Amino acid sequence: MQARWEYLLLPSFVFVVLLIVSSQYVFLKGSFYEDLGLGQIGDTFDWVNYNKFFSDTFYLSTLWITVKVSALATLFTMLLGFPVAYLIARMRSQWAMILLAGVVVSTFVTIVIKVFGLIIIFSADGLLNKFLMGIGIVDTPYTIIGNQTGVVVGLMHFTLGFGVLLLYSVIQTIPRSLEDAAQIHGASRWRMHLRVLLPLSLPGVTVGALMIFNMSMGAFTSAALLGGGRVFTLPVLIQRTMMMEIKYSMAGTLAAVLLIAVLLINLLSVFLLRRLRAARLVIA
Amino acid sequence: MTRLKLKKTAIAGALGVACAVLLAGTATAGQFDGVTLRVGTWGGAWKGDQEAVIVPKFEALGGKIEFVTGSPQANLAKLIAGRGKAPFDIMEILDAQIGDFLKAKFLQPIDLSKIPNKADLEDWQYDTNKVGSWFTQETICYNQDKFRELGLARPTTYSDLANAKLKGRLSIPDITSGGGLANFGAFAYAGGGDEKNVQPGLKLINSLNALKFWSRGGEVVTQFQSGDVYAAVVHAGWCVRARKAGANVTTVHPVINDKYVGVHKHGWLGIMKSSKQIEAAHWYINQFIDEDFQFAFATRSGVVPVNKKAIARLAEDPVLKEMLQLAKADIDRQLRLDYTKADIGAWTDQWNRSVTKQ
Repeated sequence: MQARWEYLLLPSFVFVVLLIVSSQYVFLKGSFYEDLGLGQIGDTFDWVNYNKFFSDTFYLSTLWITVKVSALATLFTMLLGFPVAYLIARMRSQWAMILLAGVVVSTFVTIVIKVFGLIIIFSADGLLNKFLMGIGIVDTPYTIIGNQTGVVVGLMHFTLGFGVLLLYSVIQTIPRSLEDAAQIHGASRWRMHLRVLLPLSLPGVTVGALMIFNMSMGAFTSAALLGGGRVFTLPVLIQRTMMMEIKYSMAGTLAAVLLIAVLLINLLSVFLLRRLRAARLVIA
Repeated sequence: MTRLKLKKTAIAGALGVACAVLLAGTATAGQFDGVTLRVGTWGGAWKGDQEAVIVPKFEALGGKIEFVTGSPQANLAKLIAGRGKAPFDIMEILDAQIGDFLKAKFLQPIDLSKIPNKADLEDWQYDTNKVGSWFTQETICYNQDKFRELGLARPTTYSDLANAKLKGRLSIPDITSGGGLANFGAFAYAGGGDEKNVQPGLKLINSLNALKFWSRGGEVVTQFQSGDVYAAVVHAGWCVRARKAGANVTTVHPVINDKYVGVHKHGWLGIMKSSKQIEAAHWYINQFIDEDFQFAFATRSGVVPVNKKAIARLAEDPVLKEMLQLAKADIDRQLRLDYTKADIGAWTDQWNRSVTKQ
């Protein structure tokens, strides 16, 4: 008798339906009704909240900022994370495990502590500003609080550890012998990276980048603390709409727009990757 | 009466008194046997003071207290999400929220005869819906050394903070913070508006070039310590804590429209409609406004007691005396917003659109 392994999916399915889908359903459904204040919603189905979102430049600019800071954080996380992941993946000494353990441990540190560390480092009398002013690069202290740069740095701080771990697992799957073969046949190290490593790793890098992007799109703490109440991303606006204005329907609408935006961007990325594969620019 | 009779009467009397004392003692000791009272309040030192002073007394009467920590906004959100079934029996409520609580009928009547300590409060500080628990004095807290270095005079109004030398060195409360609404309303008044017209306040705030909007008062203490900010709009209690943490700061109670000096934000306690621990809730409220607790609480946190005897005792502390307005005439001159005229949702919406960097 053949074992029915698919039954193992059942507990996860029940968990997801009960705790994630049902709670999301309540808010998504609520987004199609008017807010009556104090968490009460109307009983007539309409698009009033969606109309408001897509006709109001404030909400549209919030969506744009969310996508922009998330994309920048993803790009820089990948750029910073790839060399680290490559180095650890190709290291032959015991240091590889120690460095990898260090990266794993860094992901355990709560984001609040990480962000407050950044605030201290970037404070007016902090290490960085003392150094920058000491060597004469800036005259006045540079701050990352209350601007989009700070939010990008905060998101990177949040995602870098995960990025390195994701990229490490991607690079591990690429046989070292391919790199050696390319170099034996005369390819420079730079050319080997460009023509061998990059095409082979691109599908994995894309998936990793999407995961980092998705994490950044939904990140609240970094944006709230480093944005200092001056930079609104959608998660920050959702929290305010829920907690301060107590408008559940509008908060549901914002959450739905965030979800749909993330889904669309992910689908678009997968589509582009397929086109690249079709054009043989990526090896899968 | 013979000596023997007198002796018997005295022994019987003594035994009677002893029994009565014993019985009364037993009754008091078991007054709250098996009762668990849940209190919605802030965490940290705020909760710590209640744990240190009120909880042991309640436990001595046989009961147990559990704290549900969170800001009043967060606790109101829990209440709304639970459709009035609160995960607490008593809750700290801000003056800006009272209207919502009454509208949603989340509170149950308070039997004021069970709150004898109300005698030490002003008449307007209690009614059958709520009892005042503390108030804050929202101030301009500034670093005296930095102002001296920059050649700046002591500020007296919010407009004095719109100085190029203070650009990026000022921290003001975010509208979502505990002091957000009170100070936003005060800015509106200072700019020539009121509860119904907050646009002048936004214009004034935008002219200040604030570094950031703080969401928790503790951030301001850190910012003063790190040297990030030279001035902040914050309640006097945080300025007191910044001073105790080593920053040479002091408060100014801002002059608003030549009519008000200082800003007043009031905290209240209310019993949730869903609560079954009515007796214990009344007992807790009475203890909260007790002179000794109010004095101890205010001394550590820098809020102002509602208990008049405790206010008088605060003058004994030189730092509090310097930073707070303790005379009744001064307190009466502070701006107290009328939130029944305010549309908080509209305030928040206008704030979001105007103050953020989009």
